Amino acid sequence: MAEIRAEEPASTISKTFLIKPKLKSKPRSLPQTPESKYWSSFKSTKIPNLVSSISSLSFSPSPPHLFAAAYSASVSLFSPLSLSDGDVSPSSTISSFSDVVSSISFRNDGLLLAASDLSGLVQVFDVKTRTPLRRLRSHTRPVRFVKYPVLDKLHLLSGGDDAVVKFWDVAGESVVLDLIGHKDYVRCSDCSPVSPDLFVTGSYDHTVKVWDVRVENSRSVLEVNHGKPVEDVIYLPSGGLIATAGGNSVKIWDLIGGGRMVYSMESHNKTVTSICVGRVRKENDGAESMEDRILSVGLDGYMKVFDFGNMKVTHSMRFPAPLMSVSFSPDCRTRVIGTSNGIIFAGRRKGKENVESGRVGNVLGFESISESERRVLKPTYFRYFHRGQSEKPTEGDYLVMRNKKIKLAEHDKLLKKFRHKDALVSVLSRKNRENVVAVMEELVARKKLLKCVSNLDSDELGLLLTFLSKNATMPRYSSLLMGLTKKVIEMRVEDIRNSDALKGHIRNLKRSIEEELRIQHSLQEIQALGTSRASSVNLFSGLGNLHLPSLQTSLTSAALLTSASLILMFGNKSRMAFVNFF
Amino acid sequence: MMRGGRSLVSSPPAFSNDAKKLLVCTSNTVSVFSTVTGLLITSLEGHTALVTSVIVVPPSNPAAKVLCYCWTASLDGTIRYWDFSLPELMKTIDIRMPIFSMVIPSFLDVPAEENGKHQDLFAYVSIEDAKETQERTKASRRQIRKCNLSKSRLVGRLILGETRKPEVLTVSPSGKFFGIRNKCKLHIWKVLDQGSERAAVRKITLHHTKKITVIAFHPTQRIIAAGDVTGRILTWRGFGNRAFAASNGVADQKLINVQEDKPGVRDNDDADSCSTWHWHSAEVNVLSFSSDGSYLYSGGKEGVLVVWQLDTGKKKFLPRIGSPLLYFIDSPDPTLSSISCADNQIHLLKMPSMGILKTISGIKAPCCYPDMYEGLGNGIAFDQTAGIVAVRTENYCIQFYSLFDDRGVSEVQVCERNHQPGDDVTVIVTSVALSIDGSLMSTSEVKLAEEGIGGLVCLKFWDAGSQNKEFSLSTIVYEPHRDAGISAVKFHPSGNMVVSSSFGGDFKVWKCNHDVIQNDQMRQNFSWTCHAVGSYKKKPMTAAAFSADGSVLAVAAETLITLWNPYKNVLLAVLGETLTPIVNLSFVGKSDNLVAASCGSNPQLSVWNMSKLSLSWSYKLHIEAVASAVDLSSFAALVLLPESSKKTTFKGMDGVILLFNATDPVPTVIWSVRKAKGGALCFVQVSPSSVEEISIDGKAPEVLLAYMNGDHEYVLFDPYCKDAREVSVSQKEGLAAHDHKGQAGQYGYASIYGELPEFDRKRPEAPWVPSFPSDRPWETIFSGSSHNLPPLTKLCSAFLESLLEKRTAAAE
Repeated sequence: MAEIRAEEPASTISKTFLIKPKLKSKPRSLPQTPESKYWSSFKSTKIPNLVSSISSLSFSPSPPHLFAAAYSASVSLFSPLSLSDGDVSPSSTISSFSDVVSSISFRNDGLLLAASDLSGLVQVFDVKTRTPLRRLRSHTRPVRFVKYPVLDKLHLLSGGDDAVVKFWDVAGESVVLDLIGHKDYVRCSDCSPVSPDLFVTGSYDHTVKVWDVRVENSRSVLEVNHGKPVEDVIYLPSGGLIATAGGNSVKIWDLIGGGRMVYSMESHNKTVTSICVGRVRKENDGAESMEDRILSVGLDGYMKVFDFGNMKVTHSMRFPAPLMSVSFSPDCRTRVIGTSNGIIFAGRRKGKENVESGRVGNVLGFESISESERRVLKPTYFRYFHRGQSEKPTEGDYLVMRNKKIKLAEHDKLLKKFRHKDALVSVLSRKNRENVVAVMEELVARKKLLKCVSNLDSDELGLLLTFLSKNATMPRYSSLLMGLTKKVIEMRVEDIRNSDALKGHIRNLKRSIEEELRIQHSLQEIQALGTSRASSVNLFSGLGNLHLPSLQTSLTSAALLTSASLILMFGNKSRMAFVNFF
Repeated sequence: MMRGGRSLVSSPPAFSNDAKKLLVCTSNTVSVFSTVTGLLITSLEGHTALVTSVIVVPPSNPAAKVLCYCWTASLDGTIRYWDFSLPELMKTIDIRMPIFSMVIPSFLDVPAEENGKHQDLFAYVSIEDAKETQERTKASRRQIRKCNLSKSRLVGRLILGETRKPEVLTVSPSGKFFGIRNKCKLHIWKVLDQGSERAAVRKITLHHTKKITVIAFHPTQRIIAAGDVTGRILTWRGFGNRAFAASNGVADQKLINVQEDKPGVRDNDDADSCSTWHWHSAEVNVLSFSSDGSYLYSGGKEGVLVVWQLDTGKKKFLPRIGSPLLYFIDSPDPTLSSISCADNQIHLLKMPSMGILKTISGIKAPCCYPDMYEGLGNGIAFDQTAGIVAVRTENYCIQFYSLFDDRGVSEVQVCERNHQPGDDVTVIVTSVALSIDGSLMSTSEVKLAEEGIGGLVCLKFWDAGSQNKEFSLSTIVYEPHRDAGISAVKFHPSGNMVVSSSFGGDFKVWKCNHDVIQNDQMRQNFSWTCHAVGSYKKKPMTAAAFSADGSVLAVAAETLITLWNPYKNVLLAVLGETLTPIVNLSFVGKSDNLVAASCGSNPQLSVWNMSKLSLSWSYKLHIEAVASAVDLSSFAALVLLPESSKKTTFKGMDGVILLFNATDPVPTVIWSVRKAKGGALCFVQVSPSSVEEISIDGKAPEVLLAYMNGDHEYVLFDPYCKDAREVSVSQKEGLAAHDHKGQAGQYGYASIYGELPEFDRKRPEAPWVPSFPSDRPWETIFSGSSHNLPPLTKLCSAFLESLLEKRTAAAE
């Protein structure tokens, strides 16, 4: 490749500075960790209007990882692919239930779906046709969970309010084992990821029992006491640890070590309703690896991500409703959370859409047709004129950097041409208040702001007054804007009096200032309660007694503004004091 | 003894014949800079006053291009001839009258054709005739005279013209004409045959209605361009056709007069036509024709270089140079030229494209602000270890200037604003502070309000990266003391603490949290947060200082000095009190003395002993600046002399530098200086690497005292070396330093007391005076925060003691 010759750099002295808003103070907290960045990268989609509480969520183990949501007396299947397109309608719905669906579980090939309802019935559906294939009836009371073992296609596990855990043979619709031992409602279970015979169940009697179907007397092989009614239990991927959720805590137990509690995570404020295993991508020295986390949701509306390797909460996210269920897709791209008021918050990460399907294709022997040989470029092609433009420089090339062009906003250009009023109007119509304040400050520095105000025509004055009525009371800008508001009203009294539209703006302005005054007064009262600064209390109470006359003609509000700006001055202080005090 | 910071733009510079060197008049010397690197090569020293003109002898044939001869003229009344490659003085012509300007037209005109016949070289000079004061009115003492350089004398009594002010002579590139401006008129002389000394030169006058500021001659045609104060550029074509061409026949002239139509030409002026261009909004300072005569360069106060195409009047611009332009000089190399700016910078331009190749950077002049903002310091901060001074400039920058190298190092833009010379000042950088190692900087700025709205005070913290010395902004604090202005910003000796005091009645201690961010490259991230706020009886805080070990913070609350523990924010003691507010506080090195300077109607220099918490001694002196070395027990003070003593004894010197030992009220050394108003002082440590360069009289000093005057010219000298002082007397003529001290210590003491008898008045009889006013001690005993009061037993005894003392005093 030919060497690129350096153009002789001729420096110039000319500098252009843009009008920039004042910097904001940075939060004192640490910057986002890579992990919380990962969890925030799930682009949240809201699936609203499901009738009632989402009792259970489950992902299909096979791609494309459909997920099923149980709510009321129906189960809906959603496709995560359509979610990323913004389509929130379910791809299909099963509604052949007589009572509220309590739990659902996919078989490990994703072809069958088991669902239990509160009538005591467990049904097995074909996911594609949505026809009920088997109906398992034996429970006398509502069934609370149903679970397909991870490594077993033939059996099912269910349990409910009759305190009995049943192990089913699905094909014959018969109960293989009745596991009796819990003394209260059985609420949850999970099957071991490493053995087809082991599973755990959790019950409202505070205990979590480990069962082995190979044990003859149908007794639990191990029992741990969570200390609170157990809401959810999961096996961690190694198979040696389980996590239980009950009360406000999530506890981790070591089964191989004989049921020893490893850690108790107590960062929820209300009952933890559901937990699941999530995975996070970690980059260590360039190598990418996945690490497991526990996702827990609770009635306090928080989702917490717990790193059970380091025993600490690495991320926490708030949702606007009590959360009932959570699930995380096996391809680590979708995370769904169900709330008690029928909303599913589905989060989906961006990624290569067809990573797994491509892999499947290769396994099956289908080779994607390789790209046809690139055609030789001819001057008749459009691409001919773009050739070489995306060429990357090689190691030894000398790069001639072109100076970065400074992007000028419209108000910058106008200010450069000394068209001050036009610049102000242009930035006012852009609705970015920081920029507006920055332009105003620049105009002050040029001693042109009041000139601009006096030159505004009535529409533009309306624009300015709208801006002022919205922002004049903001503590950040009030020192500049209150003064300006006063000046504007003083200078443009005649115009305002002659125009109804402007009078309306003034009315709005008055309202917002009165609102702010009210806030300040209440804050002063609180401060008076909280602190014993006699002098300031006297001052504030004096201001508080100030009777603000209801202004008939809105034009006399300049006087009001004077007192308002005075109060604001103290008020900002008191607001800060208020924050400090609590 | 080093001097520097001189103005590079007092007179137009000149290029050498090969365009490799630029000769710049720098006060008494001519500095020769390389145009390739922009660095100083050598300087021509010999003149004893300001050099006003430098003219390079053009080559008579191509082979002579390498010759480096020049003529210089100076206010000391001499014309000197130099070989500036060596450099060597070849010849001196003393005409004993200050020369304001000199041109030598015959260089440009005559090829050296004749071998046998020796021709005299004539120069035309603009001088002030000082001798004939009695006979003539003052107005006509400035004359244009002819000088025979070959015979080293002025030509007889030939006076070409007289003007009210010293005017700059401009010569045409062809060497046929030269001219001056004189208010609204232009005078142009035609240079006649060289040989005859007495040959009368002819003169014409062109008129205009406005005051003309600058003129330029076209290189080949009879065109003259003139700029006036309103920004107009006038171009006369065919000037002097009558007077210069037709040498005889009055009748002919009249005929022509009647027939010709002369558009734009005023009155009966001798020109064919006059056209006007108007782009500049303020006065035109620069006018120059390109060497082929097809373009005209003009510039002025706006700091924009305009290139006019002479035939069409089309314009091209080099905008935003940032400072008024003063001179535009073409070089023999057509691709190189230079512009001199009023901010003491000379830019070398690459010609057709007008890109800036190099900048010869002098120290920028102090910015003059109208007296509208109180508490404005002189905006000078020193980096003691590196010998770098930071001065604020007009375009919201801080210029870093190396005192040892005498050139600008870098510049930091403090406010991101586009500066336009001649704008109203609305944003002022009020103070600059540098940490001791020079890696951190703090600046404060004020945006003035427009009719009471939109004022803003801003405190900024900067840090320099470890490798490059470019400062980058780390923290901005808006309104650090609400809307009150900042009176002082000082760095803690450790560098991670800053105190800012405000007129609003409080001071804040800022602390640096710096965390190292480990991304692609090591980057230190400094962030400053407020560590403590203190106030004393709501009094305006006017000055602040940290002690050398950083354990004590002294803040002046108007007339009192409060001492604080900066780490715990505890009031330690209150010292009082002076008559007028203190404006400058400084701890004296490692000793336990504190110097306070207050100004106003009752100025005072007072030294306080920290261990005894009492006043040691004080003088009634108007202090401009105080400097103390880090590890010495002495300090230097720059004193403004009162008007009365200035004329009588100090010969125009308006200030003295006093060097004190902190414990001794008798100054050890005294120097008198000029332009002390707005000056600054600093002790500069000499780093071992630069010792060889600085060594004075064979031995290297440890510490140098830097004095910078109000024009930002500075001098560096060893305050403890007697020999150096001898040197300084012989060298410092223009700027400073008559050493009054000589050998005997008594002399200096006697002299200062002889001149300023009022010093004695305040000199205390008893060296240690308790700081409490003795009549009512309870007022100060109980001052300070309540949790910090001494125990009752102590207070009682102090209280009783003071009463006792009073009684005894009364008894006596």
